[in-house]
Amino acid sequence: MLRMIRSEFLKLRTIRGPWLLLAAGPVLVVAGVTGLVQSGGNLHDPAVQSKALSHVALAALFTLIFGILAVAGEYRHGTVTDTFLSFPDRGRVVAAKLAVYGLVGAVAGLVSAAVALAVTAAWWAAKGGSFHLSAAGSWRTLIGGVAVNVAFAAIGVGVGALVRNLAAAVAAALAWIALVEGITGQLLGAGLSRWLPFYASEALGRADMTGTAKLLPQGGAGLVLAGYAALFAIAAVVTTLRRDVT
Amino acid sequence: MSEVEVRDLTKTFGRVTAVREMSFTAPAGKVTGFLGPNGSGKTTTLRVVLGLVRADAGQALIGGIPYHRLARPRRSVGALLESTSFHPGRKARDHLRVLADAAGIPSQRVDEVLGQVDLAAAASRRVREFSLGMRQRLGLAAALLGDPQVLLLDEPANGLDPAGIAWLRGMLRGLADEGRTVVVASHVLSEIALTADHVAIVSAGQVRFAGPLSEIGATNTALESAFLMLTDFTAKGGTRVAHDPQ
Repeated sequence: MLRMIRSEFLKLRTIRGPWLLLAAGPVLVVAGVTGLVQSGGNLHDPAVQSKALSHVALAALFTLIFGILAVAGEYRHGTVTDTFLSFPDRGRVVAAKLAVYGLVGAVAGLVSAAVALAVTAAWWAAKGGSFHLSAAGSWRTLIGGVAVNVAFAAIGVGVGALVRNLAAAVAAALAWIALVEGITGQLLGAGLSRWLPFYASEALGRADMTGTAKLLPQGGAGLVLAGYAALFAIAAVVTTLRRDVT
Repeated sequence: MSEVEVRDLTKTFGRVTAVREMSFTAPAGKVTGFLGPNGSGKTTTLRVVLGLVRADAGQALIGGIPYHRLARPRRSVGALLESTSFHPGRKARDHLRVLADAAGIPSQRVDEVLGQVDLAAAASRRVREFSLGMRQRLGLAAALLGDPQVLLLDEPANGLDPAGIAWLRGMLRGLADEGRTVVVASHVLSEIALTADHVAIVSAGQVRFAGPLSEIGATNTALESAFLMLTDFTAKGGTRVAHDPQ
């Protein structure tokens, strides 16, 4: 198992694409915080400060695609054949990918969190706002944001294993976030829609995008998202064991 | 011994029967030509032998053991399946480093096989810059990496220039003379006539002839007429030929 984990790291280290993708997270955070300030947010309101920091959770979009690449990218390039020839125990290969990509997702989330803190503090200082790290829930926003990054990386691994076509997997994930979950949520009503994965991630990262949805409490949302990640992980292992690699 | 044995193998994809009750043995110390028209089930059979595709019935054994139960698969079996299974952004040496690391093969072996396939000068280039012939050489390097007793090669001469083909022929002969099992799937009969000791001729997923090449006649024209006669039977309705596979 340790050898599989090391192998996943070595595969990641020897290509550049995934790193460029992860670098997009902090860039999005910088742009998002700056946009919030420029559009005239009240820099004395602790809620606006928390909203700035909640961009960390939005950066998880990139760890989701990063996770999808981990598996669907291997099918896309055919390197999955070599992976399974080296390690015929496919269930453990998926487990190793979950561990490695979850860990890298955590590191990416931490980098985004550090960038969010620095950029927010800098803007608040420049504009004469009152930035207080101790202010209502700043830490909770950051920790929740990092957790969303981890969960989305793991869910990405699951999506990539289920939908092995890379373009289809990325399109499906983006469509779900941009469109399908919102429509599903409206059909289900506010009571049920808050249990859906992207709404749960908003609650966990305290990034209320829609403003109207009634979200779960942060801790409960964390459990729900962990549950989704576990479901996707199990589905990934089961389908990977059953399917032929052609 | 490390012979490759396929026993009563059947595999269907949806409504297409790719392999039907296929049986043959590739003995150690011989080059076995695995011949058949396009779509006759050669690649599927190799993928079953390597544990990538699960057979509906029958067995595929390497030295009496299924691939997924081999203690050190990369050191027992070297495989070349297709020349496109590389990440285009990974350097040639890194591709082999990933495989070596996964199998616990010392890294100096990477440079050895790069030299063997005449790619030492291109080792630090990314695979996307490689010609078809260079990719083929890299694939052969990967197959040789673990110094395996068994080599399973699907169209290994694909894309090689005349000098490369002559080199490949000499190398395969040498490996077989060392007592290794070499299986070459191909439909380039002239090459097989020069290289193989044994042949298994398949058509529509069934073995039409299996045995020493000398029984057919080791000349190119003899092999070609036997091949056309044996594989043509299927097109006319699948009557069994006089040669019994056993």
